[in-house]
Amino acid sequence: MKRPDRRQLITLLGYAGAAAVYVAIGVLVPDFLLSVFVAAAFLLLAAWVVPMIVRRIV
Amino acid sequence: MSWAAHDLEPYAIQKHSRLKIAFVPLLLGSYAPDLFTKWYVYGIHVGGWKLKASDPAQFHRGWPGLGFTHSFLYGAVVCLIFWKVLGSKNWGVSFMIGEWAHALTDAGDTVGTMLLFPWTQHFTVGAWAYAGQTGRFMDAAAYFSGLGGMWDLVWIVYGFFSWQVLTRSYFEQRVYTADGLWPLANKAVPVAALLVLYRAAFFYGTSRWIAWTIWAHVVHHYPYDLSWGGPHWVHAANP
Repeated sequence: MKRPDRRQLITLLGYAGAAAVYVAIGVLVPDFLLSVFVAAAFLLLAAWVVPMIVRRIV
Repeated sequence: MSWAAHDLEPYAIQKHSRLKIAFVPLLLGSYAPDLFTKWYVYGIHVGGWKLKASDPAQFHRGWPGLGFTHSFLYGAVVCLIFWKVLGSKNWGVSFMIGEWAHALTDAGDTVGTMLLFPWTQHFTVGAWAYAGQTGRFMDAAAYFSGLGGMWDLVWIVYGFFSWQVLTRSYFEQRVYTADGLWPLANKAVPVAALLVLYRAAFFYGTSRWIAWTIWAHVVHHYPYDLSWGGPHWVHAANP
């Protein structure tokens, strides 16, 4: 099996971080887990909007 | 019924299909059978009213009811609408494949699906309990305590072994080019955001599997029962 390169691993770590936050919210508030649209919006925020803002600030 | 499998199967289908598959209708097809039914299966409150099917399993999978949404015929009819009315064979075939995957997967529980509707025979493997009639949270607790949750886990593990389908290069070469919707969306939204949206169903399926498992077994201590047709601590509906 081909192994991911460094850049891909960094991306994976970012998504894993987003997943950890999503899971924590979902365990506390299970209603949060009920919609794929909520999950997509959350992921868009966590994996695209926030990193973009951080890149602009730094 | 199945939970995360419907989020994850489209990635495996996309990877292995020799056909030109459009991912959005494939995913839409994978969700379609439950889109108009699950809210009424579990019930919702509107003002002081509670709207809920009197026989959720019958409504969801049976006839009379909306069980025909879990049949091959339903996927074929919507395919023809996409193809002949809206002019996209690619969208039609992709939707149909996704819908058929959903119908086949849901045949794994104790109620099963009327795959060959209008023949109303339920095809059922009976591997895990159908507990939709007990409400959303008890259904989640039961599903993630039995073989249904394990079936979802198979797809998660398979997805991680097939991680290349989630990469940017795969998205740009195989997914983006297979469907005109992506370039159209790209006029308003950058590719980086579209890539995130492409990955969203995998993220959702995997994350909610972990979250519901923690919720059921760490927070609420529902017992695992991986026996055939289980968990047997919940009343399983039958056709």
